[in-house]
Amino acid sequence: MAKRIEGVAYAGREDDPTDGGPPSDLTRRGLLALSAFGIASLADRTAFADGAEGQLTWAVHVSLAPTWFDPAETPGIITPFMLLYALHDAVVKPMPGSNAQPCLAEAWKAAPDGLSYQFTLRKGAKFHNGEPVTAEDVKFSFERYRGTSAAMLKERVKTVEAPDAETVRFVLKEPWPDFLTFYSSATGAGWIVPKKYVEKVGDEGFKKAPVGAGPYKFISFTPGVELVFEAFEGYWRKPPTVKRLVLKVIPEEATRLAALKRGEVDIAYSIRGELAEELRHTPGLTLKSVVLQAPFWIYFADQWDAKSPWHDQRVREAVRYAIDYKAISDALTLGYSPITNSMIPNGFEFYWKPPEAVYDAKKAKELLAAAGLGRGFNGGDYYCDASYSNVAEAVLNYLQEVGIKIQLRPLERAAFYSGYSQKKMKNLIQGASGAFGNAATRIAAFVAKGGAYCYGNYPDIDELFAKQESELDVAKRTEILHRIQQLVHEKSMYAPIWQLAFLNGVGKRVGESGFGLVKGNAYSAPYEDVTIRK
Amino acid sequence: MKQYIVRRIGYSLLSLFLLSLTIFLFVRVTGDPASLLLEPGASPEDIANLRQQLGLDQPLWVQYWKFVESFLTGDLGQSFYYRAPVLNLYFERLPNSLLLASVAMVLSLVIGIPSGVLAAVRVGGFWDNAGKVFTLLGLSLPSFFIGLVLILFFTVYLGWLPSSGAGTPAHLVMPAFTLGWYFAAAHMRLTRSSMLEVLGSEYVKLARLKGLPEALVIGKHAFKNALIPVITLAGINLVVMINVAVVVETVFAWPGIGRLLYEGISFRDFPVVQAVVVIGGSMIILVNLLVDILYALIDPRIRMES
Repeated sequence: MAKRIEGVAYAGREDDPTDGGPPSDLTRRGLLALSAFGIASLADRTAFADGAEGQLTWAVHVSLAPTWFDPAETPGIITPFMLLYALHDAVVKPMPGSNAQPCLAEAWKAAPDGLSYQFTLRKGAKFHNGEPVTAEDVKFSFERYRGTSAAMLKERVKTVEAPDAETVRFVLKEPWPDFLTFYSSATGAGWIVPKKYVEKVGDEGFKKAPVGAGPYKFISFTPGVELVFEAFEGYWRKPPTVKRLVLKVIPEEATRLAALKRGEVDIAYSIRGELAEELRHTPGLTLKSVVLQAPFWIYFADQWDAKSPWHDQRVREAVRYAIDYKAISDALTLGYSPITNSMIPNGFEFYWKPPEAVYDAKKAKELLAAAGLGRGFNGGDYYCDASYSNVAEAVLNYLQEVGIKIQLRPLERAAFYSGYSQKKMKNLIQGASGAFGNAATRIAAFVAKGGAYCYGNYPDIDELFAKQESELDVAKRTEILHRIQQLVHEKSMYAPIWQLAFLNGVGKRVGESGFGLVKGNAYSAPYEDVTIRK
Repeated sequence: MKQYIVRRIGYSLLSLFLLSLTIFLFVRVTGDPASLLLEPGASPEDIANLRQQLGLDQPLWVQYWKFVESFLTGDLGQSFYYRAPVLNLYFERLPNSLLLASVAMVLSLVIGIPSGVLAAVRVGGFWDNAGKVFTLLGLSLPSFFIGLVLILFFTVYLGWLPSSGAGTPAHLVMPAFTLGWYFAAAHMRLTRSSMLEVLGSEYVKLARLKGLPEALVIGKHAFKNALIPVITLAGINLVVMINVAVVVETVFAWPGIGRLLYEGISFRDFPVVQAVVVIGGSMIILVNLLVDILYALIDPRIRMES
C-alpha cells in the first residue's frame, strides 16, 4: 500500500492509498462505539428470565379502562370481567362447574310464584377495607347499577328489600324466569361494592381507588401501562396462592408473544394465526384455547323482502352448504373454533344441539339451480366488523365458487354494530355476539320480533317466544326454546359459521392458568384458583 | 426587527388556530365515541345519555369554544376512556417520550454525523456507499418492521433485551434505535451534502493550499460550518420525535405520548387526541418561531428581506 503524504487532502481522490479499507484507528473507534452501545452490559438475562416470586404477569391485549373497576358500569362485553373476577365478588356468579354459583350468598331461593328471589348472604364475607358485606351493600349495588340492561332490570324489579343484614329479597312486578340469568351473569348488577365507601369517595373516587370483596385488592393503575393487584388474605373462598397479579398492556400481538417467550410475562392473551402456530411449537410454552360464548354467523337481512333472491329459503340453504367451516376454523384459529352450526352458544342454558354442518358445494349449486339461480347471481353486500375481515374473505371465496358474487363491506366496530342495530344494512351481515345470557336472551335480541338486531320476524317463532317468557316450568320452557331454535335452523334464518375460540399463551411458571374453568369466560378465572408451578 | 417578530408571532398564532380547528373537526368526522364506549347494540337512550355526559350533545361551536377555553386555562378536559384529566395523562407520559426522543436523537446524531462526514470525505468510496445503503434502509423501512425484527433477534433469539415496557436502560435500546434510525439517515444525508458544499468552498481550498493537515481542515474548518443546518434540523426533529413515535411506542408498549395518541384515536377519545395534537403542534410552531427569530438576529439579510 502506498504511504499517505501528510498535508495532502486525499478525500475522494483516485490516488488515495487507503481507498477500499478503513484506517486502523477507525476500527478501534468502531469497537469502542459498540461497547458504548453497551448491548452486553445492559443485558440482564437472569432478571428477565424468571418472574418475581409469588407473582404472575399477564400481557393484556386491550387498554384497561377505569370504568371496568366499577361493576355499576359493566357494559355487555366480556372484557370487564377480566378485572371483576379479581377485584370484586358477586351474590351469584358463573364459577367452575356452575353458571350460577352462590358466592357472596350462601344460598338463594325463588318463590314458587316466580315473583321474588331471596338471597342469604355468606357470614364472614368482607370487603378489602375490612367492612362486612351486608344486605344494604347488595341493595345499594343494585340501585346504583347503570350498565348493560340496567333499564330492563329496574323496570322488572319492583323493590329490593333488606329485612336484615344477611337477607336480600328482590320482588318482581311479574314472573321473570330470566331474572337470575341477568342478575348473576348477563349484567354487573349482582357484583357488590361497599356502600359506605362509595358514598364517601363518590363514583369517580371509587374508580381511582376501587374496593371490592374479591380475591385481590387494588394496588395501582397506570393508564395504558399496567394494573397491579395483591392477594386479599381474607377472601371467603380461599386466600389466593399467587400473591401479586400484574396485568401489563402490550397492544402488539408479536410483542406479547416475544415477552412470553422471554419470560417477561407468564400469560399472554390473544395470540392468533401464524403466531399461535409459532407458540404451539415453542418448548416450554402452552397454547390454551377458550371457546367463547361468541358464535359467528351470516344473517340474511333481506329474507323478508320478496323481491330479494335471499327471500328464497333454498338460496339461504345453499349458502349453508357452500362454506367449509372447518377449513376456515383450521386456517384462522388452528381448528379450535368448534363448528356448532348454531347461533346460540353451546354452553348456554336451553341450548338445542342442531345437526352437524355439512360442506357440500355440489348440493349448494343444486339448490341454487332449483331456485332458478343456477348461473349464479350478485348477492349484494357482505357487511362485517373489520377486525374479522379474514373470516369474511374466506366465506366470500366459498360463495364465489358456487356462483354467488358478493362485495365485502368491512366497517370499524362501532360503526358496524351501530349500522347493524339501526337496520341500515342489507343483503348479508356477518354478525357475532359474546354477551352473557341464555338461549332466550339471544333469541330476544336476534330472532324474535322487536329484537335489537332483527330485520324481520316469523309469527310462529314470535308466538312460541311469547309463550316461554312467562313459563316457569323449566322443562316446558326448554321444550319451547328448543322448538324455536329448530325453526331458526329449518328456515335457515342464519348460516352459523363457528363459535370463536380465544387463543392464549401460557408460560412454564404457570401451574393452573384459569383458562376454561369458568365456561364461556375468555380470561383467567377464578383468580384464586390460579397457581404457580412448584 | 420588532415588526418582523410581531409578524412571525401573528403567523404562529394563526397556524395554531387553524391546527386546533382542523383537529377539532377531524376527530368528529371519525364517528361517535359514545357508541364505541358502550357495548355493541346499546340502546339509543343509553347512547344519548352518554353523549350528554360527555358534552357531545352541544352545538359544534359551543364544543369548540369549550375546547379553546380549556386549553387556554391549562385544563385539557377529561379523557372519555380513562375518565381522568387529560393533563395528568399527558404529563405522566411526557417524561417517557422525552427520554425516548432524547436517546434516539443522541443515537441519530452519533451515527448520522460521523457517517455523513466520512461519506463526504470519502465520496464514492466504501463508506459513502455504505452510508447510502444505511440511509436508504433507514428512510424506507417501516419502523414497525424494524422494531419487530429487533425484538425477534435481541429478545427472542438472543434473550439480551426486554421486548417491551419501560423502567431500565435496557428497555430503551431497541425503541431508541428504531426511532433513531430514520432520523440518523436524515442527519447523515444532510451532513454529507453540507460537508461536500463546505469542502468545496474557497476558504477550505485556501486552508489546504496553506498546507494544513487534512484532519484539521475537516475537523476544525469545515465540520463546524457544515454542522449548522444539521443542528437546526435536529432541534426540530427532537420535537417531532416526541410527538410522532406512535408506531414505535405501540410496538414496544412504550408508555409515551405516541401511545396515548394511538389509544385516543382507537377509542375516539376526543379530548386526548385534541390535546396531544395541539400541544405537539404548539411545540413545533414554537420551535419554528424561535428558529426564525434567531436566524433574523444572526443574519440581517433575513430581516431586511422581510
